[in-house]
Amino acid sequence: MILLSLPSRTDRDLYPALMSPELNAKYPTDQKAFVRIDVSLRMYWHTLFDICPELLELSGLDGMSIFRPFMAWAGEKKLAFDWSYYLWVYAWLRQSPFKERLLADDKYLRSVMAASAARWAILDRGRDCGIVIGCADTTNLVIGWKCRSVRLGREIELIEPEEPLPAPPDLFGYFTLQSFELDIFPGWQSLAR
Amino acid sequence: MRLGFNFTLGDTYDMVQRLLAEGHIDYCEFLIDNFFCVDPEELAKAFDCPIGLHIMYSKFLEANRPTLVDFAARLRDYIDVLNPMYVSDHILRFTHEGRAFFHLGEIDYSTEYESVRDRVVAWQEIVGHRIHFENYPSIMDGGREAPAFFERLMKETGAGVLFDASNAVCSHRNCGTPFEAWRNVIAEARHFHVAGYRHSLVEPFISLDTHAEALAPDTLAFLKDFRSVFDKPGATMTYERDDRIEFDDVVADLKLLRELFGQPEERRHDLALSA
Repeated sequence: MILLSLPSRTDRDLYPALMSPELNAKYPTDQKAFVRIDVSLRMYWHTLFDICPELLELSGLDGMSIFRPFMAWAGEKKLAFDWSYYLWVYAWLRQSPFKERLLADDKYLRSVMAASAARWAILDRGRDCGIVIGCADTTNLVIGWKCRSVRLGREIELIEPEEPLPAPPDLFGYFTLQSFELDIFPGWQSLAR
Repeated sequence: MRLGFNFTLGDTYDMVQRLLAEGHIDYCEFLIDNFFCVDPEELAKAFDCPIGLHIMYSKFLEANRPTLVDFAARLRDYIDVLNPMYVSDHILRFTHEGRAFFHLGEIDYSTEYESVRDRVVAWQEIVGHRIHFENYPSIMDGGREAPAFFERLMKETGAGVLFDASNAVCSHRNCGTPFEAWRNVIAEARHFHVAGYRHSLVEPFISLDTHAEALAPDTLAFLKDFRSVFDKPGATMTYERDDRIEFDDVVADLKLLRELFGQPEERRHDLALSA
């Protein structure tokens, strides 16, 4: 392996490596730059497995058989890592050696849909109050609501509609709600990359 | 020096009320953009105390103008109703080439000054309010250039600095930024943050701003050594705790801060009047 001797005076010098296990491995482990990148990568790891611990049942306890190849795949596709982070993990799992076990139990899908809905409610600063996420693998919907009262946090709902909505054209679709009511179906939007 | 607590989500509502009722804090700082779907009037009635507004996700260095104008319009609703003691924000990077950082990125102070300055001027103009910008808990050596950067920024933009004391401790431990280099910034600043930090899990160990631990001895020593520079009329110190939030632990740290800085000036005044 070739170790990098790139300048690493500032955080900015490390930006390209902050979400790449492959690039981190090229920094000497006794340097601060390696630890800085390691800290960053751990955030991605914890954001995934602390919120969706079920995925560790597939991967084993360290999660690396999911985390490393997913991060490499996400890097190739230049995924934005916005609120849809978890949905892209599911999309990767669905075409990975874990596919059969993934599809055998819908708890994994419920978990990633809820996690992404919650992440939208945490991160989005637009005017919308809620997000509805649908998946071609289920007729159930997951809704994430932003904080609507000073005493409440964000809320996540699993909805089993009596009359299912049409399936999203892609694996996942979403739409947002301008009030705290699920009273519209404007059609599905595709995930941004 | 007024002491405050950061209120980030409804989970800690009862605790913050108790901190106020028992006199451990004098004001409350809202992480305001978490509450953009809450009626400003409801927020104004939430706590019977002065308020600070701290912004997390304006992303003013990266967002386009229409996005910032809309963000600012909603922020103004809260400024107008809550009449905050201060409005603060962050100078940091949220993305690189369109991909989000989960551990936020620090700018390069030596090469980005002009672009950041221009953004700061524009952002304050859009909000229509002076903004206090928080210093980063630097890890890499470029953090040594932060004090001069913030000092110049204050002079050239009219912006304030929300000086995070424990971030300065992390920067000192990680890249050797001298505490003395911050003296002029601290002297100019009126609003402060302080919290716990922890070490990285792998060597060479670095210190990470986590808001999940008790105040460290070197943080308290820094506050003590610079006490007269921190403490001034109108000054506020917000204790940040976002994780592992235990009431008794929070109170223990607040008591240490109260011992260090004494009673807030308003209370001293009240005591003088009643004496």
